[in-house]
Amino acid sequence: MSPSVQESTSNAQAEAELITQAQDLVQRARDAGATQAEVYARRDASTSVTFEKGDLKLTQVDASAALGLRVVVDHKLGFASTNQIADTSLTRVAADAVALARMSPADEHNVLPEPGGAHADLDLSSGGAGDLTIEEAVEVGRGLVAECVAIDPRLSLDKADFGTGRAHLAIATSTGIQVARSVSGANLSVFGMAIDGDDVGGFDYWGEHVRERSAIPAAVTNTATRFGTSAVGNLGAGAAESYKGTVLFAPDAFLDIFVGPLTSGASAIAVQRGRSALAGKVGSAIAGKGISVLDDPSDLELAGARPFDREGQPARRFALIEDGVLNGYFHNAYSAHVDGTTTTGHAAGGARAVPGLGPHAISVAAGDAGTKSAMLQTLGKGLLVNRFSGSVDPASGDFSGVAKSARWIENGQEVRPVQETLISGNLFELLKGQISLGSTPEIVMGAARAPWALVDGISVTAG
Amino acid sequence: MSHDPTDVLAEALAADAGPFVELRYHARRTRSVAVEKGRVDQAKVAEHTGVGVRVLEDGTWGFASTDHLDVASVRHSIDAARRAARSSSAARKNKLAGLPETELARGRFDAPGYDELAGRPIDESLELVLRLEAQTRGHSKSVASASCSYTEVFEDKAVVTTDGAKAWTRLVRPEFRVLAVAEGNGDLQRGYESVGTTGAWDCLFRRRTPEQMSDAAARMAVDLLTAKPPEGGRKTVLLSPSLVGLLTHEAIGHTVEADFVASGSCAAGKLGQRVASDLVTLCDSGGSEYHDGAGGTLLVDDEGVPTQRTEIIKNGILTSYLHDRESAAHFGVAPTGNARAWEYDDQPLIRMRNTYIEPGESSFDELVAGIEDGLILDGPRNGQADANGEFMFGTQSAWRVKNGKRGELVRGVNLSGIAFDVLQTVDGVGNEFQWDLGSGHCGKGQPAKVDAGGPWLRCQVLVGGAQ
Repeated sequence: MSPSVQESTSNAQAEAELITQAQDLVQRARDAGATQAEVYARRDASTSVTFEKGDLKLTQVDASAALGLRVVVDHKLGFASTNQIADTSLTRVAADAVALARMSPADEHNVLPEPGGAHADLDLSSGGAGDLTIEEAVEVGRGLVAECVAIDPRLSLDKADFGTGRAHLAIATSTGIQVARSVSGANLSVFGMAIDGDDVGGFDYWGEHVRERSAIPAAVTNTATRFGTSAVGNLGAGAAESYKGTVLFAPDAFLDIFVGPLTSGASAIAVQRGRSALAGKVGSAIAGKGISVLDDPSDLELAGARPFDREGQPARRFALIEDGVLNGYFHNAYSAHVDGTTTTGHAAGGARAVPGLGPHAISVAAGDAGTKSAMLQTLGKGLLVNRFSGSVDPASGDFSGVAKSARWIENGQEVRPVQETLISGNLFELLKGQISLGSTPEIVMGAARAPWALVDGISVTAG
Repeated sequence: MSHDPTDVLAEALAADAGPFVELRYHARRTRSVAVEKGRVDQAKVAEHTGVGVRVLEDGTWGFASTDHLDVASVRHSIDAARRAARSSSAARKNKLAGLPETELARGRFDAPGYDELAGRPIDESLELVLRLEAQTRGHSKSVASASCSYTEVFEDKAVVTTDGAKAWTRLVRPEFRVLAVAEGNGDLQRGYESVGTTGAWDCLFRRRTPEQMSDAAARMAVDLLTAKPPEGGRKTVLLSPSLVGLLTHEAIGHTVEADFVASGSCAAGKLGQRVASDLVTLCDSGGSEYHDGAGGTLLVDDEGVPTQRTEIIKNGILTSYLHDRESAAHFGVAPTGNARAWEYDDQPLIRMRNTYIEPGESSFDELVAGIEDGLILDGPRNGQADANGEFMFGTQSAWRVKNGKRGELVRGVNLSGIAFDVLQTVDGVGNEFQWDLGSGHCGKGQPAKVDAGGPWLRCQVLVGGAQ
């Protein structure tokens, strides 16, 4: 057999075994008294190498398994999880979950979903990036360190990691859901700073996620370049100036301050429980025209791509915000039952907890503000924020924190790095104000995609 | 577990003739209940159990793990870890010759409270959480939503090494949290209270009852609706014990972790130098000084080293870093018992435990009276430290102080500064001590349960706010 045929056979076999294991635990739960039961089963195998201070620290090989059991007994909820697959452990897990359910108060909305129809046929496992040997993983790690050091000898690598692995997961329920998938990929990251004599620059980091083995060299180069350039740029930090006005945000910082809290507030459960500022805003403009946010689980460039969600429901494209208008909320089976609607396929989480709710693969659409250089010219004088270290209250929208890897801009040019600079504001008010987005969205840490953003009305407090 | 797991580990090790091996059994069993707005979101039991194997071969670390506690599986993992080390040793430039001899723990080490909480039915915890969530929501018509949760983590650990460690530890860490969300004029504000300890409920609710915490969270959420943001700038502030804990952890603790020092953190090369006002003595401890039950209490670390109280700063002078066995060898000192792994399949890293500033001599009123124009700050949120000593942490609430008098409530803000510069500005240290960060976790690639605290402390920091 060719490697790809062997691989798909191996995936199919592992998925079939997990389905059988999940069905077995569903039956044990039914035997223990569960009205309904759902099992999430997962098996992982990985190899990772860690470099510290530019030298190999540790090589790790792991193989693990996990089972999460959700039961409903007369609309009462219970949950138990384990990594122990022995017969006695599984019987105990079923008994624990049912016992917990029996003591919980009933909630009419605790109902497991029915099968949700066909899901997308995504290839998440044949790229080969998750199947490197120990020796190959060590070579990638060495290459990552070497490329960083080659950028500038003043770089000090606190940590560089490379991990390669494959996972199989399955979901089976007493309501007839049976789905499984396999995932293969690699992650790499670098964390450190630049040091020049007594001058210690601020931390910086970068990382990527890849599915294709052939994409690893480019990911190594990009990670080293992004990290190294920014970390060296942090040396010689001085003071910013205090002002209230426009700030240029890199995609990382824009996602942290503005997009993450928005997606959190778009959780239907947050709305139902009275802790979302987006309650009652469906169909209303919550951001400026030109701002569009899409959750696309078929986007294979993002690590969160998947054919189905944590409840085995098809994961679908969901246009959260279009031209500033909120289109709807993310639903899982529970929240959909509360609102009398259908799930949007946004159940999230793993084997160790009751399914939660959240997006899979977020992208913010490009705007018309041009390149980063053009946006610097538009800013003229002010602050550029690469990363944000602070607090964002998703309920009120208030945020406050330190501008990291920040630069002071004059005449459209970076004139110095800055430290001890705090930024604050209210994201919901700012989103409805003056925001312009760049023309080239970038993928941040393999997880989400966003363009650069110029946002007016930020309070900048310089030390 | 009722049987000593060190015996199985020792048997697996007895058949291994190679160089250094460390076997670490870890069973984590979590019981958790969470309620929001009258609905049970979580009622769960989770277990994660196995053995982590670390070997030192050809001067290189190899690591493997198994979720089976039997001799054959552990031996198989030792072989896998050895293969990993051998396969990668060519990439290690500075071979580790070995670990220095040190006193290693042998015997059984139990922290109080394990059996008491294991015997307490979880339905009592669910009843508490349901009642307190309802009480929080009923505090005021302005409280639109509330949530309440209780978690207890039972940890059984054993470590056996080829150079003599053979220790079995058991401890339990309960946590209680309550959150209120108040709504007014289209604005939402949150009030949050939490507590976490190592021990049973007598420790957990020693300082405040769950009812008092519920009341405080609801009151804060409502009061913040009418509070305004303060103006930003460099200010004199009085930090509560929880924020002093956050300051010691974020601003100082991370910069003195020896792995980070070796990378060139701002604490590198500063041993013996003044880094703080002479009012400041700062420690990290596996024990729980002043009050029992600090959340990061640890009797033996994950390399088998008995923990100790480590004085990091004594009267303003930097005196020690925090070490595992490898970094202690590198720096030529004794390990401080700071090697910690989150779960069995995580490698041990240098982590803090209970970090604090020792109490001084001033009363709270004396500290407030010394502020001409500043803020009293309370309620920790998140925090982060940086290589250059720049730190950040968030606060829930603040009160203006003018001419030594406490004024109106303003919204919580984020603080920043350069760690050692801020400690040099300390000019007042309170005389009452609290552990108050025990519900928090530290993140460094993997989580770690930590606590921190101290007395009220007066210093100068940069305050984020309106311009």
